[in-house]
Amino acid sequence: MSKNILVTGCSRGVGLEICRVLLREGYNVYGIARSYTDEFKVLEQEYIGHLFFKSIDLADSGGVRKSVFKEFVTNDILLDGYVNNAAVAYDDIVTNLNIDRLKAMYEVNVFTPMVITKYAIRNMLLHKTRGSIVHISSISVHTGYKGLAMYASSKGAIEAFSKDTAREWGQLGIRSNVVVPGFMATAMSASLTEEQRAKIYARTSLKAATNVGSVAETVAFLLSDKACSITGQNVYVDNGTI
Amino acid sequence: MEKLQLIINSIRKGKNLPELEDITPEMNLRSDLEFTSFDLAELTVKIEDEFDVDIFEDGLVNTIGEIIVKLGK
Repeated sequence: MSKNILVTGCSRGVGLEICRVLLREGYNVYGIARSYTDEFKVLEQEYIGHLFFKSIDLADSGGVRKSVFKEFVTNDILLDGYVNNAAVAYDDIVTNLNIDRLKAMYEVNVFTPMVITKYAIRNMLLHKTRGSIVHISSISVHTGYKGLAMYASSKGAIEAFSKDTAREWGQLGIRSNVVVPGFMATAMSASLTEEQRAKIYARTSLKAATNVGSVAETVAFLLSDKACSITGQNVYVDNGTI
Repeated sequence: MEKLQLIINSIRKGKNLPELEDITPEMNLRSDLEFTSFDLAELTVKIEDEFDVDIFEDGLVNTIGEIIVKLGK
């Protein structure tokens, strides 16, 4: 029987690539995103009966119990994994910090993933599943960049949450890990100028943008039984960022 | 009450503890049923699955009687 994985932010970029890799490996994927993109629909056509979609606003942390776990990934579905990929970026220098924008980012990047983790673990508990949780973080947590202090802080919170989730639920076989990608050429970094990109890539050993496929393959590995002894870790997929 | 007893006994069985023939409202979940925080988490998800009520949503629950109140029975 195919394993079931919940992926947030599935409609484009890394999330879409994660879905593609998981489907190729035989998983069923339950995707959540705000927008139902044409790229996602193409993948859906290719994997009819294995890829499912629900449009959900992940800024509503209080609503996900109902919208995700009562109406989409119900207790009848045995959940094997959760990939926390959806995120929004709020870029600005610290002296311009706007508290409403900061709180809105934390809803999507921190509070909603925590609530989804709560119910994902509950599903795993109900079915006694040795599930795997993978959070997507950012290299900005570990290497400072101008303008990313607020965004990086939200990802740092998720890294800490993952580490302690791993410790708390390890005895029941539930694992939690983080993939830390370097800068990728996705919509999230689309606002950067060529010069800014060149500077960022110059700070990596491989002198290039991080490969989205490599990030997705690492997520698939951490979800799989091949990674059964890996938990509480951050796995860097960042072209060797200095 | 009967369904609750079945759930409690399913968890006790998983811990190799004898099943209970009766449950009473004054029974303490930790000291009388010998439930750990992980057992209580399992109890919560099984009750939620059966009754659609999250007994730990707004604070700790200590006795079977308190669960029955939350289930509105």
